[in-house]
Amino acid sequence: MSNTPTGTVNADATQILGSGRAIIEMKNVDKLFGSFQALTNINMNVGEKEVVVVIGPSGSGKSTMIRCINRLEKHDRGEIIVDGITLSNDVRNIQEIRRETGMVFQSFNLFPHLTVLDNITLAPRQVRNIPKGEAEKTAMELLERVKIPEQARKFPGQLSGGQQQRVAIARSLAMNPKVILFDEPTSALDPEMIKEVLDTMKSLANEGMTMICVTHEMGFAREVADRVVFMADGQIVEVGTPEHFFDNPQEERTKLFLSQIL
Amino acid sequence: MTDTAKAKESANLAPLHSDTTPAKWVKNNLFNNIMNSVITVVLGVVVVFLVVQSFGWIAGEEWEIVRVNLRNFMVGQFPSDELWRLWTSAFLLIGTFGIGTAAMAHNAYDDANEKGLVAERPSLLNLLARFWPVLAFVALMVSFSETLPPVVGVIAGVGAIVASRLVGWALPASIRSLAVPMMAIGTIVAMAVLAGTGGLIAMSAGVVALVIAASGLSRRFEGSDPKSMAIRTGGPIIIGAVTLVIVNAIGFDGFGWEDWGGLHLTLFATVVGIASGMPIGILLAIGRRSELPVIKGFCVVFIEFVRGVPLISLLLFSSFILPLLFPPSVETPETLTRAMIVIALFSAAYIAEIIRGGLQAVPKGQTEAAQASGMSAAKIQRLIVMPQALRAVIPAMVGQFISLFKDTSLIATIGVAEFFQFAAIANSQPNFLGKSLQLVTYSIIAVGYWSFAYTMSKESRRLEAQLGVGVR
Repeated sequence: MSNTPTGTVNADATQILGSGRAIIEMKNVDKLFGSFQALTNINMNVGEKEVVVVIGPSGSGKSTMIRCINRLEKHDRGEIIVDGITLSNDVRNIQEIRRETGMVFQSFNLFPHLTVLDNITLAPRQVRNIPKGEAEKTAMELLERVKIPEQARKFPGQLSGGQQQRVAIARSLAMNPKVILFDEPTSALDPEMIKEVLDTMKSLANEGMTMICVTHEMGFAREVADRVVFMADGQIVEVGTPEHFFDNPQEERTKLFLSQIL
Repeated sequence: MTDTAKAKESANLAPLHSDTTPAKWVKNNLFNNIMNSVITVVLGVVVVFLVVQSFGWIAGEEWEIVRVNLRNFMVGQFPSDELWRLWTSAFLLIGTFGIGTAAMAHNAYDDANEKGLVAERPSLLNLLARFWPVLAFVALMVSFSETLPPVVGVIAGVGAIVASRLVGWALPASIRSLAVPMMAIGTIVAMAVLAGTGGLIAMSAGVVALVIAASGLSRRFEGSDPKSMAIRTGGPIIIGAVTLVIVNAIGFDGFGWEDWGGLHLTLFATVVGIASGMPIGILLAIGRRSELPVIKGFCVVFIEFVRGVPLISLLLFSSFILPLLFPPSVETPETLTRAMIVIALFSAAYIAEIIRGGLQAVPKGQTEAAQASGMSAAKIQRLIVMPQALRAVIPAMVGQFISLFKDTSLIATIGVAEFFQFAAIANSQPNFLGKSLQLVTYSIIAVGYWSFAYTMSKESRRLEAQLGVGVR
């Protein structure tokens, strides 16, 4: 593994696996909340069809990092390039990037005043100007894909947590994004519902969707990830394949973290 | 098993209320011990006395004052030979809004059915249950009429409500979708008939606000792609402008509103306050949350100033000070126009703060989820944040509307005789002066205010239930 970093604290995650081009490039990204440095010199690339799982203790900057990619947080230094577009302060530029990146949140964030079907068709119709009939047809196909087509006419409040999160995944897929960012998608779920969401994510990964996934599900990381990125204190500490990462971690910090959770 | 135990058992098994005859109920609840029996007897005597007294009072000659002043209470000093304008505009509004609301109800019904939700088809009985206080008040007032036209008019009006609701429901879907523009046009024409082109500017502003409120705040986003939004908003404005131009060209000049008064003016001022206060209030609420210091500063100063002073002082300012500030070359708007503007701005400031509360209640994740899908800031506000904020504040908002409705009585202070003021005017008429008939006049006024305020309150609860507030 030539791309396995050792020794330095600030690991480089720019080496993508496979031959695909990079969809996301982060170069020397810093993020400050006031005087608190949330991200320090992040370097990471994500290639086409790659699944990158980001793990680390809470407060390590995992969520902040992926929220910088679609500008839900503004990074202070460095460069972020999504699908060839450099993220800048230009609103059109930001919206262009957001159209290409789906996002799934810890707390689902479905729109409670709209039906499941309207939740999914809203962005395609409003942002891509797709006609209603076509958008609904696509939405039904997506609901089939996440295995809850019978819930289409219900409101989010009538669904279980697992079903809501699967609707949220369908909603992000509806924009036909180049990459989907998962921000701890199973952390707010009851244990018995975690599996149905992880299964949906696995099948997405198998279909070749590019994904960055912040999670505490180590089983998922081991099974699905192409690369695992370990973060602590706002820095990328270690990067590697799941085998390398779980069986033969190099950094003390990584070993400590894994010993605490496994 | 003893007899008492058996009795207990049978009492437990018996279905509720099965053996409760009225006589038993009275015995168990009113005369179950000596103390309760005494209270029942005393209170019974008091109630009977009050009922007999009120019947005597209601049947008494005191009510002559209402009979004589009936028209004053309803429409003030509106000239007799111009009354046809009132009737015509009333029928226009009933007709277009009856058809429009029935059409919208049918659309919502189809929509709910399509979504597989439980939908109830509104019936005329349902309408009666919703608006009975207003209908009862109108019936009460009309019972004082000594001439036939008002009675015929009210009966015809009820007929028009029924007919227009039936027509609106029966219309084909393609026409039903035009309900909002149709109601907007109906309003413009009704206003044009009522006031001629006298209050042209105020009128157009009011109508534009009405239309924007109706289409922009629509909770259905089905038609919100740019093209249909443009048609729904632009269409009514263009048609309205053309209507106004035509009306103006015909020289349908009518007259200004210096002669308006009574309940008619009170209701008009309330509608103006709500219809223009809502859009302005929404803009102020959004502006107050803006990151641009100039916009935010303006909104904060405006809201806090208006909320910090009594409405009466603003009305007096608009009436007595404002004309002095106008340069001589500029024509000062009429007193009532200025009062309407004050009422609209006043209610906008309060509505803004209510809406700001609602906006804060919408979780940040809602905005983030919408942002993440690439929606523009304006669309996020209109389709995601505002609908949730507005439904959260329906009770507070309707409370503000009711408050505004009653506060319009303050325009009496600037010499305009609206509904409330006519109680005092009637009592100072030579025929009734010194007869202490205040109880009669103010009772009628109270019933009038209550019937509308209570209806608003009922409608608010209905709206909440319909939108599933607290459920979704």
